[in-house]
Amino acid sequence: MRYKKHAEDWIIDSIAYIGMSLFAITALIPFLNVVAKSFSSNTAIISGKVGIFPKGFNLDSMKYVIISKEFQSSFRISIFLTVVATLFSVFIVVLTAYPLSKKHIKGIKPILLIFIFTMFFGGGMIPNYLLIKNLGWMDSLLPLIVPNALNVFNIILVKSYYESIPESLEESARLDGASNLTILFRIVIPLSKPIIATILLFTAVGNWNSWFEAMLYINNSALKPLPLYLRDIIMLATSIEQPTDMDAVANFTAEGARAATIIVSTLPILLVYPFVQKYFITGIMIGSVKG
Amino acid sequence: MDLYLLLVPGLILLLVFKYVPMYGIIIAFKDFDLNAGILGSKWVGLYNFRRLIESASFGVVFKNTLIISFYKIIILFPIPIIIALLMNEMKRMHFKKFIQTIITLPHFLSWVVLTGLFVNILAFSGGFVNEVLNMFGLDSISFLTNPKMFRGVLVFTSGWKEVGWSAIIYIAAIAGVDQEQYEAAYIDGAGRFKQMLHVTLPGISSTIIVLLVLRLGGVLEAGTEQILLLYSPTVYSVGDVIGTYVYRMGLGEMQYSYATAVGIFNSVVGFILVICGNFASKKITGKSIW
Repeated sequence: MRYKKHAEDWIIDSIAYIGMSLFAITALIPFLNVVAKSFSSNTAIISGKVGIFPKGFNLDSMKYVIISKEFQSSFRISIFLTVVATLFSVFIVVLTAYPLSKKHIKGIKPILLIFIFTMFFGGGMIPNYLLIKNLGWMDSLLPLIVPNALNVFNIILVKSYYESIPESLEESARLDGASNLTILFRIVIPLSKPIIATILLFTAVGNWNSWFEAMLYINNSALKPLPLYLRDIIMLATSIEQPTDMDAVANFTAEGARAATIIVSTLPILLVYPFVQKYFITGIMIGSVKG
Repeated sequence: MDLYLLLVPGLILLLVFKYVPMYGIIIAFKDFDLNAGILGSKWVGLYNFRRLIESASFGVVFKNTLIISFYKIIILFPIPIIIALLMNEMKRMHFKKFIQTIITLPHFLSWVVLTGLFVNILAFSGGFVNEVLNMFGLDSISFLTNPKMFRGVLVFTSGWKEVGWSAIIYIAAIAGVDQEQYEAAYIDGAGRFKQMLHVTLPGISSTIIVLLVLRLGGVLEAGTEQILLLYSPTVYSVGDVIGTYVYRMGLGEMQYSYATAVGIFNSVVGFILVICGNFASKKITGKSIW
């Protein structure tokens, strides 16, 4: 539909474009300020004169972060956790969702209810904590991998997707003598790639960002994941290690080092997000149209 | 049938990590002693619940939870709708995609990173916001430790994190509005503003109602992770909520039984609210989450 631009169009266009640009700028400023600080000199940082552009550009804070032993260790732990916990969780989800998608098999409805109930009611923080303690899992990575692997919300999403796959595809394989496990891995899972990609990404982001459980269950600093390390240096001003080699990082300030740590630990998400955005958006759509 | 076998790993995880902790809530009715274990601890009946109802500190915590949640709902619930309406008026696809990427990104950052960003930008001395205030001749504000400012910071930071992402669902709903209605409205002489008001908004009203009702169902979750990271003893009076209180009582002061009682109160009331919300949503719009 093409029509002449009225005064109204100019007003609405200006409100939309200016309004949304302001929103986007508000979303960016806290980042830009931290990015600027992580590349600024110590004098500029201490005098509080860093805005959204670096002052006295240098790479010392970045260098400090990258050579910091604690940062390296927590970064490695986080990579390991994100990979292992995500793969384990997605495996459990795609496996469990399959029998739950077969409405005709006996007893599946009540079992489904037993799963769904836990989405709305749980034991809460203390009983969970005591369970991990009783299992002897304190100061290990197990409580960050195993308990949350069973994500009921994701199971429901994947189950609905499986249900939309025509039964006839599975039937013909069944006639050829294929087992359910074969059908799941050879037919159903390959057809469900979009939803699996979506839950994989959501789970991975969740694991990369997760800190609360790590705070509850991990005291050993060699096992701290990145968000917990980051929390410690943000909240406890004393816990940033002084650099051992002062010459290499002459511009060291705790504030600059904190800023650089924030940026480096967000980098994986910043780099990946623009390319995988569409999977997240499909995910929220699928989640919202069911029911 | 081997289909049941595929359920086994999931069922084991479900029982051990979801249902065993539910069994663990019986410590709320006991005087839990770590050495005696759950079974060996002494029964105390409803003592912990009576303590909760009579405790002045829980009253404050409960009030804070409701106030913070309602501030967040009243101020933040409409913003994604406005964003979606504005985005719908933008016709330059590349610019639109660019804006959408920027405003949805904060949803994917952890609260720890957000805390880092805002502790930095709101710092009393040398923080960007206060430097700007000083430039205009205004005094610095201690955003994170002033009880008058703290709830505002909570509302702003959760808005900063979530409004862009929440708009996506409305943008999807708008895409589903029947195009013929716009043409009909245009022929009737409705301009873009009238179309927005009389076609787009009614077209997404059921989505708005469902999301509002669900949001109201979650009113007891005022942002535990966010507050645990941002608060400090000077703002406990305005910022302590049920989730943070359970954490401090249970794991800080080792009052396991009392904290579990608070947790049960939270789960039960929360569960009832979600059920009611879902029921209301079904009644009003015919849509529900299950």
